[in-house]
Amino acid sequence: MKTFRYLLPFIIFFSIIILLWRGLALHPNQIPSPLLNKSTPQYSLPNLFDANHPTTQKDLLGKVTLVNVWASWCPACAEEHEYLVQLAQEQNINFYGINYKDDSAAALKILKTAGNPYKIVAIDQSGNAAIDWGVYGAPETFIVDKKGIIRYKQIGPITPDIWDNKLKSIVNQLENEN
Amino acid sequence: MIPELGSFAIILALIFALIQFSAGLLIKKIERAREFSVAAASGQFIFLAFAMLCLIISFLNNDMTVVYVREHSHALLPFIYRIGAAWGGHEGSVLLWCVILSGWTMAFIIFNRQHGQLNNYMVSILGFVSTGFLTFLLMTSNPFLRDFPSAPITGDDLTPVLQDPGLIFHPPMLYLGYVGFAIGFAFAIATLLLGKLDKSWARDCRPWIILPWSFLSCGIVLGSWWAYRELGWGGWWFWDPVENASLLPWLSATALIHTLIVCEKRNAFKGWAILLAIVTFSLSLLGTFLVRSGVLVSVHAFASDPTRGIFLLGYLALIIGGALLLYCGRIKHFYQAPEFEIFSRETFLLINGIFLLSAVATIVLGTLYPIILDALDYGKISVGEPYFNTVFVPIILPLLLLMGLAPHVHWGQQAIKPLWNKLRLDIFLSLALGFAGPLLFGFAFHWLAAIGISFSFWIMIATLHFFLRLQTKLDLKYSSMLVAHIGIAIIALGITVNKSYSEERQVKLFPGESVELAGYSFKLENISETKGINYQSLAAQFSIQHFTQKPYSLIAEQRIYSSHDQSLSKPGILANGWRDLYIALGAALPDGSWSVRIYYKPLVRWIWAGGFFLLIGGFLSLLYSWQSRRN
Repeated sequence: MKTFRYLLPFIIFFSIIILLWRGLALHPNQIPSPLLNKSTPQYSLPNLFDANHPTTQKDLLGKVTLVNVWASWCPACAEEHEYLVQLAQEQNINFYGINYKDDSAAALKILKTAGNPYKIVAIDQSGNAAIDWGVYGAPETFIVDKKGIIRYKQIGPITPDIWDNKLKSIVNQLENEN
Repeated sequence: MIPELGSFAIILALIFALIQFSAGLLIKKIERAREFSVAAASGQFIFLAFAMLCLIISFLNNDMTVVYVREHSHALLPFIYRIGAAWGGHEGSVLLWCVILSGWTMAFIIFNRQHGQLNNYMVSILGFVSTGFLTFLLMTSNPFLRDFPSAPITGDDLTPVLQDPGLIFHPPMLYLGYVGFAIGFAFAIATLLLGKLDKSWARDCRPWIILPWSFLSCGIVLGSWWAYRELGWGGWWFWDPVENASLLPWLSATALIHTLIVCEKRNAFKGWAILLAIVTFSLSLLGTFLVRSGVLVSVHAFASDPTRGIFLLGYLALIIGGALLLYCGRIKHFYQAPEFEIFSRETFLLINGIFLLSAVATIVLGTLYPIILDALDYGKISVGEPYFNTVFVPIILPLLLLMGLAPHVHWGQQAIKPLWNKLRLDIFLSLALGFAGPLLFGFAFHWLAAIGISFSFWIMIATLHFFLRLQTKLDLKYSSMLVAHIGIAIIALGITVNKSYSEERQVKLFPGESVELAGYSFKLENISETKGINYQSLAAQFSIQHFTQKPYSLIAEQRIYSSHDQSLSKPGILANGWRDLYIALGAALPDGSWSVRIYYKPLVRWIWAGGFFLLIGGFLSLLYSWQSRRN
């Protein structure tokens, strides 16, 4: 009985450790997107590459698209940029950019120097479209299927690890859907 | 070149830490083991200080090839904040942690002149703690990692809230506090390993608890003052997980300091003191984990990386789990049957410890509750001020009563009647002041306020009574207790009056319009644009008038930092000893008016002033133990 009493601090401590260990696996920042399995929001934004033709949600139809929210001021975007270029060139992945609260000249400059993974880049200067998409910060990437329905949301940069283990299989599976 | 030297210095420091750890345990000859571990500890300290210097130099040079510098500095960041920026992020603060631990180890080696197995074990344990943290630093958080960008970069800049002189002093002060408890921890573990306690144990140990406790008090107060000035919410304590992390070890260290008195004077409570020493440092480590792992969301939380969390948690489990198992196995040797009556100073000091640990438990519960719910899949919630105020106040109030009473109670046994005769005047006086005081100052009557104020005066009067009766000549003995207890009374008074009689208004003002609060009239004179080195600012000029006195002018700002596209409210504060007037400028409204929050905060400065009393009390106690050792 006495030994148990002396063991008590250890037991309390040990349960806290277990709890914290469980807590580490949880993501307090990661809030699931309410838009999952819903259609993309409707919008019409200026096109970074073609000032005369605005881009709308219709540009996402017919193929599996990765909608990537990025900005030139965002260090984590710069981190994933090179890999996105590689994915676009080598695996023919279809990237669609939303340039979030950015300076268009700075954005174009980055695409010129570091390569351009995007087919189209929509300019969301005010950030209003991003609110409709439920964006918390850059970078975020939405996987949109052929019918324009959001099927997955990736918060933070896409790394080779995340691509190989998570995103690739989702994209492949969606490619095979009609 | 400099960052590489820094990295290399950390590796060397780690090797020295390993030597320091093994020397005290493996080398059998006491004197030889001592020489070895002292040399290793010195080497470790020199190289860590050098690494810190390298980091500061990299910041002063704005070396943007260093990833950590790039993320926390900016070409336009003022020079003085670059020094503080060295510990403004995760990597740098871990380095600072290690530097300070090693500094405490050196201080212990130099100032504790006893040589023996106990001290060798202690230095070895400190080496073990340091080894873990240096490994953590090198493996997951090296501040010197480089990355050569193709284009010149201006840097991501230090978060605007951190661009304040507070950053230079607050984190080092706080770390000096809770890292310092490592010494007390080493005392406890070495004692358990040896299985015996020297008679002078408590006396030797006490300064090494009191000194970090003083720094921690000061650090907490600085943090509170900083939050008050910078965050623009007019509050001075937010029960944020990071604030709680600093309060927890403070509470248990307070319990430990009082328990050590019983150890020293009555040779009792030794097991309890050992447990408290372990718990105090464990809470420091728990705090470090909570802040560094990103397991909780807080205004202070840094970008999190799961490997960091796992590493720290494993390390925590090893050190604290090991310590508590050792405690469980060995503590029987220290058990002693109690030799005091129920009504005695020993009992009061024991109750003091129990109440303080209950406060610790409620705060730990409140802080971890969101994780508990999330882990059980009950959804995401946050626990805020209402919980903490509801549970914390009822625990603290009896403690305040005890504080005035306990010094008057005899060791061993005390009869109640003479105590009542001695103290009844004090009791009546403090009740009278508590109930009549606010009315004399023109405040409305308020039950909670009356109780809080009575309790504060009770501590002051009873403590002074004790001190004056005792003193025939001015003596350092008990002076630290006097100053520290009065400091707590001042804090309690400040909090009570502030909570009960603060006033605030959220108003919409056009330039030229004025508003009344607590007898002051606040007039918005004009709004102008100004420019700082790395920010643009909208400055609202107010003139404040109290009845017909001469008006004061006060400026509240709204700053936009160019590098962050983030705005920060820089409140205007007009302070004197009795009250603060606090203006925070809000948003511009479409009709040309401005949203403004105005606060009247009586006695808010007393809260921080009391904190500095604690610091002084701590130093007085050190002075006394130094003096009595020389005699």
